[in-house]
Amino acid sequence: MNVSFAGCGFLGIYHVGVASCFKKYAPNLFVDKTAGASAGAIAACCLLCNSPLGQITSDVIRVASQARAKTLGPFNPTFNITKILRSGLEEILPENCHEIVNGKLHVSLTRVYDRRNVIISHFESKEDLIQALLCSAFIPFFSGYFPPKFRGVRYADGGFSDNLPVLDENTITVSPFCGESDICPQDSNVSLLQINLANTSIELSRENLYRMARILFPPEPEILSRMCQQGFDDALKFLQRNQLISCTRCLSVTSTFQLSQTVEETLRHDLECTDCKVQRQVALLDSLPETVTSILQEAIDSANKGLVNWVFRHRGSSLISVLALPYVLPRDIAHATFLRFCDAIPKLTGDFAQLALSLVKFIVAVIKKMNDKREQFSAKFSCQLAITEYREYDMPGAINFIRNKYNFDFTFDLNNGGLPHSQSEALSLNTQAAEDYLQHHYQPLHAIQEDGQGEKPLAESHHDDTFEQILEVTSHQDAVMAYYYLDSKNQVKVKEIFDVTDADTSAILAPEERVQNADLQFDSFIEGEKYESSCNWQLAGDPDEAYLDTFQMDASDFTKEMNVNERGSPSDHEASYMIFES
Amino acid sequence: MAALRSAEEKLLAVVKSRLRGRYIDIGNSVGNKKCKIWTLSLNEASKCLPLVMLHGFASGVGLWCMNFDAFASTRPVHAFDILGFGRSSRPSFSSDALEAEGQMVQSIEDWRKAMGLEEFILMGHSMGGFLAASYAIRFPDRVKHLILADPWGFPEKPINQEKFNIPTWVRVIATVLQPFNPLWGVRAAGPLGPKLVAKIRPDLIKKFSSIIPNSDEVIPNYIYHCNAQTPSGESAFHAMMAQFGWAKYPMINRIDSLNKEIPITLIYGSRSWVDQTPGNEIKAKRPDSYVEIQAINGAGHHVYADRPENFNHLVNIACDSTEHGSLFTTN
Repeated sequence: MNVSFAGCGFLGIYHVGVASCFKKYAPNLFVDKTAGASAGAIAACCLLCNSPLGQITSDVIRVASQARAKTLGPFNPTFNITKILRSGLEEILPENCHEIVNGKLHVSLTRVYDRRNVIISHFESKEDLIQALLCSAFIPFFSGYFPPKFRGVRYADGGFSDNLPVLDENTITVSPFCGESDICPQDSNVSLLQINLANTSIELSRENLYRMARILFPPEPEILSRMCQQGFDDALKFLQRNQLISCTRCLSVTSTFQLSQTVEETLRHDLECTDCKVQRQVALLDSLPETVTSILQEAIDSANKGLVNWVFRHRGSSLISVLALPYVLPRDIAHATFLRFCDAIPKLTGDFAQLALSLVKFIVAVIKKMNDKREQFSAKFSCQLAITEYREYDMPGAINFIRNKYNFDFTFDLNNGGLPHSQSEALSLNTQAAEDYLQHHYQPLHAIQEDGQGEKPLAESHHDDTFEQILEVTSHQDAVMAYYYLDSKNQVKVKEIFDVTDADTSAILAPEERVQNADLQFDSFIEGEKYESSCNWQLAGDPDEAYLDTFQMDASDFTKEMNVNERGSPSDHEASYMIFES
Repeated sequence: MAALRSAEEKLLAVVKSRLRGRYIDIGNSVGNKKCKIWTLSLNEASKCLPLVMLHGFASGVGLWCMNFDAFASTRPVHAFDILGFGRSSRPSFSSDALEAEGQMVQSIEDWRKAMGLEEFILMGHSMGGFLAASYAIRFPDRVKHLILADPWGFPEKPINQEKFNIPTWVRVIATVLQPFNPLWGVRAAGPLGPKLVAKIRPDLIKKFSSIIPNSDEVIPNYIYHCNAQTPSGESAFHAMMAQFGWAKYPMINRIDSLNKEIPITLIYGSRSWVDQTPGNEIKAKRPDSYVEIQAINGAGHHVYADRPENFNHLVNIACDSTEHGSLFTTN
């Protein structure tokens, strides 16, 4: 005979009761096949492997109490049913379990991609078998988010397609729901209405409604125990009804004939045996085996005794636990996420590296895109000039050495102004605006030393210049430095700085100055270098790039040493830097 | 009604014997309204004791389609839609349990008169079994053998035998649904009704799939249209019920008043939700009468469709032995 167990989540304890009854009174029934879905498949497998019922009972109760202990019950993120099941199965099933159950155990699975039912009955290894059982017990969102794979295909709970696989006409169906099954509870509240979900007939009664809710949310140990007892009683009733209970002597006889005889024949054989009759009478008064009841009783006691349990049974405490949900849940979720992450790390290293790489690529692409679209630049233009002036008096006896030093240091922050949008625009120049801009930002940091009469500020000498002077200088001289910048009106300004100290033109210098200047020694390198750099600026086609550079001139480049005529007044002989706007 | 007719025709197309379907006028005994009862007759020419079949709750004559041929091979067979169900009229019944039951039984008697039948074998399934027993008590002379297939309404409601404390929310749902007719959900589904029936009772389709070509469409359609109209029979049934599923006046307490001469055969489905203990009780209560109890292995509540061969065989044996007067020897 074949037995099929219905999938039923935590109601699987009912199957334990049924199995213990079968083991006790009809051990000869199980030479043939078993089938099941979800918890039923596990029950069917354990039955074939002759797993210790006591251990299974304590496992079920342990898992149930674990699920009950947490907020949200089994839906608490830290409750990982698949993991618990795997470790439990690994422990309970013998190493050669796949050999025992091969061809006998039929596990009902639901293939995820087409939601069809698949029945698996051949297993290559213990791991293979456990994986099939876990697939069969996978309820989306309850067990996890992604269905597990079995031989490369994703499967979910067999209960979605065929919760009670029937192998042939003589299959004994076992279901913890009151309905049309061979072994099932008979509810006191019968109802004419039935539904048939995934091949499991379920009567629409109050008890069944309650049982349905208990598939995922396990009840108290007391009720679990009663369900187990119910399974035992129902199985016993079935055996009695079908005259399947026999004494040990008859059992041994029938088992030898099992191959050729049908069950019907062995039944008739049973009826005449007085020992069998006695056995049947004894069975009437029997209940669950000791191993199972003791564990159940222990669980009930531990759930009922003690002050803590008394407090937790109180209605107020359940209210508190509901109210505390918003505080407890995030912690649990974080905890669970962390645990799962830790679990997944070894599997994910390869993926993770790839993920990081693609993330970096993405960020780079985003930045590039932003740069293309929004041309916003931060540019600072700073220039430091240090001008040192030495004055020597040839008067005997008087060491009247005056040393002047001009240090200027100015900074343009181009962020203050807008930017040119095109090259041509950038080249249109506006002198006055640039002048304003420069003046505005021109900050002489310090004049390090002021000896003697001191110096006139540079800006003053600037004002003394006439337009003719400017024209003269610009037409004959090369700029020491030229630079472009942008003013507040989005126009590029070109500034050229001319070193007029050594300019040998009459426009600037008095004749005697020119004579003296001829004696001065300059480092020609400076001029050349600066000229070049201004050239570079113009050549650089993209104004953006140019602005991006922070142009900083080393002060030493501009430090010039001069010997100035002793007679010359400071104002006359200062090294003048003329700034022209063109 | 037209939809029901076409659905029924599709179902009955599998019956090989010649079928005659007609409306029988039974007058206005119920609800002061002219009532008609849809009747199917087979093998009317036969002189044997006729068999009258009463269907169960929420179904109709069509569901007997797998049994007609076997029964009609030897004797005349009459099957009709009980008043308030299927294609028969749907008058409003009393809301009192006993009165409603009386009206139903009276309608069967009126039908018998209109049909001109004197004696017959009465077979009822589920609710039909309850009515058949009630009819046999009231009109014992007409019934030669009472065959009850998984009959409803025999056991008494046990006093508070709940296995566990039913939580409040379940009680609330049950209490809210209590006043509704049992099949309100199917009617509420409207045009989706057949789909709903197919969804919640795929087992019914499966039972018939071996002989009906496109049973996944025909069966839900038939069941839906049987119950989509005014639920007058359903209301009467609801009135006869005490709480979900129990009879207000269980037949087990009234079976004593059944004539001892009438033999009873009870055929249960081994998987059915129907409690089989009343069968044994009846047997104990009627030591001098013929009471035969059969359980068909692997069959559910719809015994006649789950294991049609076994069922037909058992019924035929019962009918034949009644006819030949050999019943008491087999007991």
